[in-house]
Amino acid sequence: MPGPMPPMPNKDDVVGTWGFLEAGVDRIMTDLREGMDMKTYMALYTAIHNFCTAQKAVSGSGGFQPSNNRGGAHLLGEDLYDHLTVYLTNHLKHVLEESRRHVDEGLLAFYIKEWNRYTTAGQYNNHLFRYLNRHWVKREMDEGKKNIYDIYTLHLVRWREDMFTQTHDAVMNAVLRLVEKQRNGETIEQSQIKSVVDSFVALGLDESDSTKSTLEVYKQHFEAPFLQATSEYYTRESNAFLQENSVVEYMKKAEARLEEEKTRVNLYLLSDILVHLNKTCERALITAHSTRLRDEFQVLLDNDRQEDLGRMYSLLSRIPEGLDPLRSRFETHVRKAGLAAVEKVAVDGDSLEPKVYVEALLEVHTQYQDLVKRAFNSDAEFVRSLDNACREFVNRNKVCKGSTKSPELLAKYTDTLLKKSSAKMSEEDDMEKSLAQIMTVFKYIEDKDVFQKFYSRQLAKRLVQTTSASDDAETNMISKLKDACGFEYTNKLQRMFQDIQISKDLNSAFKQHLEQTFGPDYQRDPAYIDASYHILGTGFWPLTPPTTPFAPPQQIVKTYERFAMFYGNKHQGRKLTWLWQLCKGEVRANYLRTGPGKGMAPIFQVSTYQMAILLLFNDAAENGGNGTVSYDEMAEGTKLAAETLDPSIAVFVKAKILIARPEGAKPESGTVYALNTGFKPKKMKVNLNIGIKSEQKQESEDTHKTIEEDRRLLMQSAIVRIMKSRKRSKYNNLVTETISQIKSRFQPKIQDIKKCIDILVEKEYLERIEDSPDEIGYLA
Amino acid sequence: MSSSQMVTLTTSDNVDIQVERAVAERSILIKNLLEDLGGESGEAIPIPNVNESVMKKVLEWCEQHKKDPPATADDDSDSRKKSTDIDDWDQKFMQVDQEMLFEIILAANYLDIKALLDVGCKTVANMIKGKSPDEIRKTFNIQNDFTPEEEDQIRRENEWAEE
Repeated sequence: MPGPMPPMPNKDDVVGTWGFLEAGVDRIMTDLREGMDMKTYMALYTAIHNFCTAQKAVSGSGGFQPSNNRGGAHLLGEDLYDHLTVYLTNHLKHVLEESRRHVDEGLLAFYIKEWNRYTTAGQYNNHLFRYLNRHWVKREMDEGKKNIYDIYTLHLVRWREDMFTQTHDAVMNAVLRLVEKQRNGETIEQSQIKSVVDSFVALGLDESDSTKSTLEVYKQHFEAPFLQATSEYYTRESNAFLQENSVVEYMKKAEARLEEEKTRVNLYLLSDILVHLNKTCERALITAHSTRLRDEFQVLLDNDRQEDLGRMYSLLSRIPEGLDPLRSRFETHVRKAGLAAVEKVAVDGDSLEPKVYVEALLEVHTQYQDLVKRAFNSDAEFVRSLDNACREFVNRNKVCKGSTKSPELLAKYTDTLLKKSSAKMSEEDDMEKSLAQIMTVFKYIEDKDVFQKFYSRQLAKRLVQTTSASDDAETNMISKLKDACGFEYTNKLQRMFQDIQISKDLNSAFKQHLEQTFGPDYQRDPAYIDASYHILGTGFWPLTPPTTPFAPPQQIVKTYERFAMFYGNKHQGRKLTWLWQLCKGEVRANYLRTGPGKGMAPIFQVSTYQMAILLLFNDAAENGGNGTVSYDEMAEGTKLAAETLDPSIAVFVKAKILIARPEGAKPESGTVYALNTGFKPKKMKVNLNIGIKSEQKQESEDTHKTIEEDRRLLMQSAIVRIMKSRKRSKYNNLVTETISQIKSRFQPKIQDIKKCIDILVEKEYLERIEDSPDEIGYLA
Repeated sequence: MSSSQMVTLTTSDNVDIQVERAVAERSILIKNLLEDLGGESGEAIPIPNVNESVMKKVLEWCEQHKKDPPATADDDSDSRKKSTDIDDWDQKFMQVDQEMLFEIILAANYLDIKALLDVGCKTVANMIKGKSPDEIRKTFNIQNDFTPEEEDQIRRENEWAEE
């Protein structure tokens, strides 16, 4: 009930002035809702102003005081400040007593109501006492007096000392009970908690600087008990839940709880708490049960439960070192899966299709790459585990007993893809996809040099036999390899490509030359043979001269010699070596023409060796006789060695073009062959130029042999390169550096490197330093 | 808050002065009061310590400076403390008799208008600057009540400040 204010006090009268002020402050403190008029407001302010300025004149004119170090007028106000302090303490004593009558939510409501009322009054008083703040308080604080605050801060300090210290436990307990209710699913008055948080924060006063605040009070009296209660709550809940539910169910629960706590922060907590709250929840919900969770990992992997694996990942990724055990388990699992997949296809033994093998590898990789992406968030560490596992099972599995089978099969698979005949999947997208898949496996191959070997041989074959499906696909593949392994790796492959291009130009130049020499009708000449030539640089092509002697049939000698002359004129000093084993041609089987004008003669596609054999039958027919050719005549006529001649004949016999006499006789001296004039081809073109099985196997063995030799050279050149720049090096450093230089091609054995060093010392490229036995020097 | 809102001030000699709220709020006292009490009632604000003629002078200054950045509660920047520079308008404004000058200073202190208080104090400081004690005594009409011995002592004690 706002009574009329007492009359304005005398400015020199402390008792009177405080009496006047107390009435006003009391009204502000207890009855502000009744409002306050301007007159009263101004009267209170003015009373303080007048009191503080009253005796200044008196004090100032008190004569000169040289000993006064305060160096100025004495400021009044201490009495008012002290009176106000006492008043606040008394006021709060009542509030405190009152609060004891409330518990739980009632207490919260009371505390918040009183707090709001008190702080609002504090703002008012701060304004009314502003003159005191500006002068007396400021002076005291400037002089470093402790425990003197501006009037609003004084209010907070009193609350903290006289009210908060006595009530915070009870208030906090009420808050925690409320939060527990909410965690149990009940609806609560959240704004109450928010108010308590704000109040605790406001009480965090920085004693050294009243304009700043700290979170100390809040941290100690709110955050700490809150986290403690949270930890207890979730420890209890998670233990109980896991007793009755599966790990998968538990993970869902934990995930939901973590999410819930996060939103709780936004609802009524200080965002500052989030990190600590998360940690607390994670400890209780995840760390405490991490072993149990991880034990489930294998089960989930075995059943390919991507979603649950993802959940486990995201839970365990939240705690320190939570994922490490999973990674190694994952790696082991993938490796086993890879090995099992290989085991499955390995039953095919030597007849294992490269395609089947590569697809088996890819399938495992694809499956787990997908898992890493979806469930493990493409986590770099899991990607690494996947890579490790894949590298293991790609290079060391049942099929590649040694270690070079994987690159060989991969190269062969690539060959079937890039070859013309391979199905109808030449859709560009599919091709691109398949090549990308090959590169996926290629990435894991340790013996990249083996792949290179096989690849270059097969590329050579595709180019020479023009069986390549498309130039674009070939270039694409080479550039992919270049991206992966660098220019040097694909240098020769690219040169091979160029050779073929150059040869095309050369062939048309040759045709022009023929036209100029023999006139435009040169093709009419019955002896003319339409031929084309590939000129292949010796250093770049993985090809060797034929192993067998060969007498080319007379019919083609003139033709190719003409070309050789043409080429010799163009490029003097270059030596041409004919790779007969790679040459092929077509012959028309006129003897099979059925009746005059009736149908065409079928065409046989044959190797040059086969051509030479067949042409012997022409000679036999011309010479009269019975048109048969004996084995010995064949050997004599072609000069071919038996290991080439015999299989070539065998192809004809098998295709029923030639008939052996006596029937079923082996190709050997005494056997005689006749043309099967009753041969009925299914197609007009018959391909007889079939690779010979034993030849293929031989080839693959040769390739492996050359790899050993190449590796030695590679190691030696790396060693020399290193020593050339170092001049001197410790033995062990040299070995390590050599390994690091060539491990992109293959994994060298230390033993082999040492052997190479020995060889180089022997050849006097390098020397052992005499007085320093573990050092190697370079000899220019 | 519309800028043209008016408030009424009642001076100590009971004269009502209408003034724009934004102008009156150069006084932190009035600003706080209007914030605390709302100031929507149209009730006159009693200013018991300032009379009409001083109030008008103070409000003239407030009108001139109403566009200045709002006074903050504690603006004690060094530049403001150290410099005795006063801008032209303020210098002219302060060309009043000594009594009025001191009245303005007192009012600025009471009403909590820091910038005006500063200008007032600087004006007084400039009146002292460069003058001998006798000249200062003359300016402010002060009786010399030191004995020659006391004066000697003071001079010795303050020797460090000379030159």
